[in-house]
Amino acid sequence: MRALVIEDDPDLRQQVVQFLSADGFAVDSAGDGTQGAYMAEEYPADVAIVDLGLPGTSGLEIIRQLRKAGRKYPVLILTARDGWQSKVEGLETGADDYLVKPFQKEELLARVRALLRRSGGWAQAQLASGPYVVDTGAKTVVADGKPVELTSYEFRVLEYLLTHAGKVISKSELTEHLYTEDEERDSNVIEVFIRRLRSKLDPESHYNPITTIRGAGYRWDLPRA
Amino acid sequence: MGAVGGNSEGASSGPAPRFSIPMNSLRARLLLGTALLLIAFVSLGGLALEWAFRNSLDHAQQDKLEGLVYSLLGAAATLENGELSIALEAVPDPRLRQPLSGLDAALFNEAGEAVWSSAAFLRLGSLQQPGVGEWRFERLREPDVFSLSFGLRWVDVNPEVTRRYTVTVLEDASAYERQLTVFRRTLWGWLIATLIALMVTLLLLLRWGLAPLRRLGQELKKIEDGEQPQIEGRYPAELQPLTRDLNAMIVAERSQQTRYRNALGDLAHTLKTPLAVLRGLTGESGLPDLARQQLGEQVGRMQHIVDHQLRRAAAAGSRTLTEPVALRPLADKLIAALVKVYATQIRRFDNRIPEALKLRVDQGDLYELLGNLLDNASKYGGGQVRLSAEQRPGACALIVEDNGPGFPEDAERLLQRGVRADLRKPGQGLGLAAVEELVHAYEGRLYLERSSLGGARVVAVLPQR
Repeated sequence: MRALVIEDDPDLRQQVVQFLSADGFAVDSAGDGTQGAYMAEEYPADVAIVDLGLPGTSGLEIIRQLRKAGRKYPVLILTARDGWQSKVEGLETGADDYLVKPFQKEELLARVRALLRRSGGWAQAQLASGPYVVDTGAKTVVADGKPVELTSYEFRVLEYLLTHAGKVISKSELTEHLYTEDEERDSNVIEVFIRRLRSKLDPESHYNPITTIRGAGYRWDLPRA
Repeated sequence: MGAVGGNSEGASSGPAPRFSIPMNSLRARLLLGTALLLIAFVSLGGLALEWAFRNSLDHAQQDKLEGLVYSLLGAAATLENGELSIALEAVPDPRLRQPLSGLDAALFNEAGEAVWSSAAFLRLGSLQQPGVGEWRFERLREPDVFSLSFGLRWVDVNPEVTRRYTVTVLEDASAYERQLTVFRRTLWGWLIATLIALMVTLLLLLRWGLAPLRRLGQELKKIEDGEQPQIEGRYPAELQPLTRDLNAMIVAERSQQTRYRNALGDLAHTLKTPLAVLRGLTGESGLPDLARQQLGEQVGRMQHIVDHQLRRAAAAGSRTLTEPVALRPLADKLIAALVKVYATQIRRFDNRIPEALKLRVDQGDLYELLGNLLDNASKYGGGQVRLSAEQRPGACALIVEDNGPGFPEDAERLLQRGVRADLRKPGQGLGLAAVEELVHAYEGRLYLERSSLGGARVVAVLPQR
């Protein structure tokens, strides 16, 4: 999952970026409104965390612009002004949730995860499909009641496919959402991850959760529980 | 300000007893004062005129009777017996020759005996005889006549013999009375007509003169009702400083709250971002456990103190010129926002606020009050939230209910003053503490009850004028 953080305070920005990276996100960040607005419209993102009080373009204006540009990913607003009027204004403009400063790391991650699940159409806290139950917060995967050990990147691929279950995800989309602009990308690595995922999740090729669509990409094919 | 508005019509407001209300009105004062003055002036003028007229009428009567006495004396002649007599044929006024004509004359000798009289001289009691050469004019009551007597000494051919006589002329007073009555009727009729015309003119003048004050009162009422932002009409020079200052005051009162809030918001922003960084540090693995725990606790305390003081300072409370805010659209906005945030939890959101309901509460305060109550109900309730309003005498009650677990037994105690709000634990009714501050700022009451939905029921009663 790829997250965009727009926050003008460098210390707080660094912290939020670190929280998210440690939790398995590919994170882009901007320190002012103008750069943030550009990234929000142009970069692939699964979720954005936007501070409302920004120099340059305001947080509200960024949200308005990115919604106008047709970007649909969920937006969490960070605000120090905990007035309801500003919360309502932010949510009306197109944000999906708000978090009042100062906040706990756990709270931030929980809210972001909840937004991601909701945007993928998942109502429950855990993603359950076929014999698999994936907890995106605790980073655990259970198949038929038995835990499955995955590496961090394998988990990211699984999370992305499962969140968008039923949708064809191209290799380039996967690459875009697993790595930031600065990281080295190799789409061949994706094939390796998919192969390993299949062998770990379904060693006996019994469920075949991930289908390869030739020339288009991959699709999670088990029904959501 | 309210006083001006209330007084121009005099009856609507104010706790004063009813009989004293008109004296509180400028128009009533001016009207009463000038009316009393006019009535006094007209009455005195009328009395003076009547007195002068009666005086001149009396003089005319006397003059007329004097003329008659002279003409009678001109017709007098001595008889053979030496007594004086008057030949009726020679009398100038023909009425003396007719009985019951209202005019009579007689001649008395020294002993008071009538030696001559006209056609039907009334038998009168003894008339006082004036001295020789003197006139005596009087009004008799029974019968109502004027009488004029003149004393004389008659010198005949023989100068040694002189006799003393009194000539008396009586005239009926009814003609005089008629004249006087007609005059009085005309005089007072005209005076009263003039008085009424003057009063009407005065009333119109006052209405016209005081119209700007009445208009000002109406404008202030409109401002209170939120129909216009400030005083807009043109006013006479005497009132302009007042309207200018009133406008300045209204603008100041409105902008002060905004400025205050913005300043507090800035303060919050600058304080909370570093607090957020500190809070983030408590998750850092490099710190010793003790330091991390201490850091977490202290940051938590700072956060609560900041929150608490900000809330207290930001509550606007009731003000004189608060515009009424329509509750329904505001609640709809909040509900739309909360439904978005708690999309997976909320199943039913029931907004029963009537469309027409308006509250005299600052809009920002109303957002905080409802926002916190609805947020709690959405977060801790069981997915069903109901918002309603009840009109009570002199107040409006806002009611938020849910189907969650409801309040613990000691919830009311949490709300008591003296339990320091800044020491409360987060999640334990922090939003409720904010609501309580607000309700207190409006001198209202907050009740925590159990709802028919099964969960909590919070009733915020806000007094309304």
